[in-house]
Amino acid sequence: MADLAAEAEELDGYFSDASLDPEPRYPNLKESFDTAIVVLNLPKVPEAKRGKLEKVVTKIISRLGNLAANEDTGFTGFSMPFNAEKASTEGFCIVEYETPEEAKNAISVLNGYKFDKNHSLIVSPYVRAQKLENLAEKEFVEPEQAPFEEKPNAMSWMEDSSQRDEYVIRQGKETIVSWFDGKVDPIVDYDGSREKEAGVNWCEYYCHWSPKGSYLATLVPAKGVILWSGSTYEKVGRFVASDVKTVLFSPQENYILTNNMRYDDEQAIKVYEIQTGKLLRTFALYPDNIEREEEVPPPPFQWSHDDSYLARMGKDLVSIYSTPSMRLLDKKSLLAEGIHEFQWSPKSNVLALWSPERNNAPAHVDLIEIPSRKKLRQKNLFNVSNCSMVWQNDGDYLAVKVTRHTKSKKTLYNNIELFRLNEAGIPVEMLDMKDAVMSLTWEPRGSRFAMIHAENPSSTKVDVSFYDMMKKSETMKKVGKKGALQKQTTLVPELNKIETLTGKQCNCLFWSPAGSTILMAGLGDSASGTLEFYDVDTKSLTIKEHYRANQVLWDPDGRSVTTCVSQPVEGGHFKFAMDNGYILWSFQGKQLYQQSFETFYQFEWRPRENLLSKPEIAKVRKELKKYEKQFEKADKDRARALYLEETKGKRQERKKIRDILSQLRELRREQRPRHIELLDGYDSDDDTNYVVREISIETILSTKEETV
Amino acid sequence: MRPYLLQGHERPITVIKYNYDGDLLFSASKDQIPCIWRVENGERLGTFHGHKGTVWDLDCDRFSKQLLTASADATVKLWNIQSGDLQHTFTHRGPVRGVAWSEDNKKFATISDPFVEHNAKITIFDTAELDGESDEDDLEPLLEIDVPKENSRRVQMTNISWTALNEHLLIAFDNGIVRLYNPTTGTIEEEIRVHDKKINRLQLNQSKSLFITSSADFTSKLYDTANLKHLKTYTTDRPVNDAVISETKDHILLGGGQEAMSVTTTSGKVGKFETRFFELVYETEFGSVKGHFGPINALAINPNGRNYASGAEDGYVRLHFFDKSYLDMKDPVPEAAEGTEELSTDDDDEDNQGNE
Repeated sequence: MADLAAEAEELDGYFSDASLDPEPRYPNLKESFDTAIVVLNLPKVPEAKRGKLEKVVTKIISRLGNLAANEDTGFTGFSMPFNAEKASTEGFCIVEYETPEEAKNAISVLNGYKFDKNHSLIVSPYVRAQKLENLAEKEFVEPEQAPFEEKPNAMSWMEDSSQRDEYVIRQGKETIVSWFDGKVDPIVDYDGSREKEAGVNWCEYYCHWSPKGSYLATLVPAKGVILWSGSTYEKVGRFVASDVKTVLFSPQENYILTNNMRYDDEQAIKVYEIQTGKLLRTFALYPDNIEREEEVPPPPFQWSHDDSYLARMGKDLVSIYSTPSMRLLDKKSLLAEGIHEFQWSPKSNVLALWSPERNNAPAHVDLIEIPSRKKLRQKNLFNVSNCSMVWQNDGDYLAVKVTRHTKSKKTLYNNIELFRLNEAGIPVEMLDMKDAVMSLTWEPRGSRFAMIHAENPSSTKVDVSFYDMMKKSETMKKVGKKGALQKQTTLVPELNKIETLTGKQCNCLFWSPAGSTILMAGLGDSASGTLEFYDVDTKSLTIKEHYRANQVLWDPDGRSVTTCVSQPVEGGHFKFAMDNGYILWSFQGKQLYQQSFETFYQFEWRPRENLLSKPEIAKVRKELKKYEKQFEKADKDRARALYLEETKGKRQERKKIRDILSQLRELRREQRPRHIELLDGYDSDDDTNYVVREISIETILSTKEETV
Repeated sequence: MRPYLLQGHERPITVIKYNYDGDLLFSASKDQIPCIWRVENGERLGTFHGHKGTVWDLDCDRFSKQLLTASADATVKLWNIQSGDLQHTFTHRGPVRGVAWSEDNKKFATISDPFVEHNAKITIFDTAELDGESDEDDLEPLLEIDVPKENSRRVQMTNISWTALNEHLLIAFDNGIVRLYNPTTGTIEEEIRVHDKKINRLQLNQSKSLFITSSADFTSKLYDTANLKHLKTYTTDRPVNDAVISETKDHILLGGGQEAMSVTTTSGKVGKFETRFFELVYETEFGSVKGHFGPINALAINPNGRNYASGAEDGYVRLHFFDKSYLDMKDPVPEAAEGTEELSTDDDDEDNQGNE
């Protein structure tokens, strides 16, 4: 018993009558490794530098979320193994965050992060690392090289023997590519018949040519973008992009950007490399730091002329991504406080951007060179309410239309700032306009520009003015031994006005790609559809009309121009569906061809590259006579062949109808006696039934008196 | 040459017709007073007063003595053309859409719309039985054909004509069909579907060997009357209200335009209120004449081929005289044997006509 009592005493305190805690407080058991990530490709450092590296890494990772530190166990949420044998770190670390979201975010931000010159981080979820651990190691087998597949010749259409242009139309369910040369009616090149046989449409939304015309991208919202190329329109590329709404080719056709315009999609915008079909990067529709407003359209991406950069505007900055890595250039965006708009120069890596007045700083237009980020030119402007920038297509000039207000902010007026980029120091000239300027366009490859202006922006009659950035100046110069004076024309960079056409009814200007000719058009719902073809050099004017026209499209070499009445693919009933269709005009304003459709969505000319330089073009112009003969002959032959083709069927048709008509006449002749009988014997062919009366009318045209 | 603008009506023109000899032109409009014009100089010779509703159709006999007018006031009136006197009134059950003299100028047939409980009707009268004295007591029709509802939908006739030798009545319907009725028994002899939509007008050429239909489905179709065989189709981009076959050339004239209803919402240039000229054989449009600012409701071409007239919703009749370049126009496909002829450049002289 004493034993028992002693034992009870000993055990006293172990037993308690108090009820047990029903929910013991254990630390939460984490059932998954969602919060853990593995960071690879860290530098391997010896013991001495270990502390420093840990510090640096901790600093980076802790910025992206709270680490799952546990004071009790002394775990910091970060562990970097150290290999004692090699006396260096292993080059990786494990990080644990408090929440899976933080971990996810950290992966997206840190993956590919340039830790230093030689180390780009590779970050993956811990789970994935675990899987990799269990991966059975196989012997490396060199992948077999895929047999070479010849891609169709994307330039085959350029080799057309009769130098025709191509265009594509979207109409109803059809997507048709046709040839057109301005002389004969369009000839269908490909209409998706091969796909139709297979039971699919080769295009279900819009379609677009690539900038050099090598590819035709057709949009199939359910799948993505398909590229077609070569003489038979073979499928040469497919890019997955569900709900795709727009595509943007890079100017050199190396990349394609797809966009589905969805606010809720983190991967709304995708950038693919065309040759490999590899997805390079995805973007959300809006940059992170911009407030998302449904009314404000997302800032567009813009490619630089040589495909080196892709840029998009954010709040107070421009993010420039360099290709093909698609990483931010120099790891940081280009800061531009208050930026409102930017544009790449069409021929060099120069950005033009403008920001409005702000914090006592005036509004300014900047020209910035990329990648050096050197400010080439800055122009300060005052009392600005709006600016719009227009580049000349060679990047030689930049016009900035500045809408300014008076101090009272009641009245608006315009002036135009003209930058000359091809001259040292980039001089800027200012053109003061008292009127409101509605539109300004540069002559392609030229030095002239045209603009629409009127005293009252809402007036129907407007003026169109033409200016030249270069002035022809005539100087007398001594030439030769005798010192004879000879006129010499030189061009001096001086802004001068060419002329003003008054009382026009137009709201848009379209220069021909060949220059010299301009089409002044009144487009849209409220306009009349007037088309005025004007040649600035010869001053000839042709006025035509295409009612309800809402688009004007020049072919790439300025031979013909299209005006269209088209409706959006989505949008149901179209008010002017009756007028849907397009008209092809010659550059002189002669109607060449016309087609109407119940539903007409799109017209696009196949672009072609300008392969000739300016002096080469001048040379061709000089020797035009030589070419003329050869082309005229070709034209004649073609016209003759066509004429024979056309009249062939017509003769037969005519014969058929004539036979029918003569049969009917014969029938009537047989019936004639009965007809006469019906008319009580009156025969209209009987001359006795007619009274013949001769009337002579004398008209005195003029009288003249002469004194002899 | 500038056309004569015949301003005699106050409301939309419904029909215009030349007489057999082509020296007189008759016009009717919704203003209830048909007019008669001298073609040579565009002068108005007289008017026919008496109707109390829109005059939908009229027909002049072979010798230009008697005129029949069909009106929405449910009557057909017979007039003496020379004096302008009313000779007789034939009352109907509903608005009268069309009227046509038989080839012998003794009988005429009318079509009337369904009205209240009455169906549409085809009625044939014999004018020989008229005593010429009283226009009060009504003449009993020779034949009355009832046109019953089809699929419980009232049918409406739009046009009536007699075929050669009074063999048949050729009638166009608003559902796109054309029927041949026997004028003595009143039975349907043949029926063909010509259009999917309303046939606005059916016109025969003078020898009655061909007829052309104009439809709201934007097309016009040429048929052979004897065999009821489809020959050609002329396609436009607006409803066609009237079409005529030229007597002297292988041409077809088409008139129409946007529906009057939607005209006010658009500009005059858009409605496409031009008279369009088509090649009869090749079905291609080769010219057009502008001028009206409402859809063209009626077209007529002079049997001598020297002029044509168009009447429109705007209430005007325009009398156009062809210029020499049109009259001299040849078939675009030369007659010579294939491959030997030279290229001929086509002149589009039609376009500059009537631009004033």
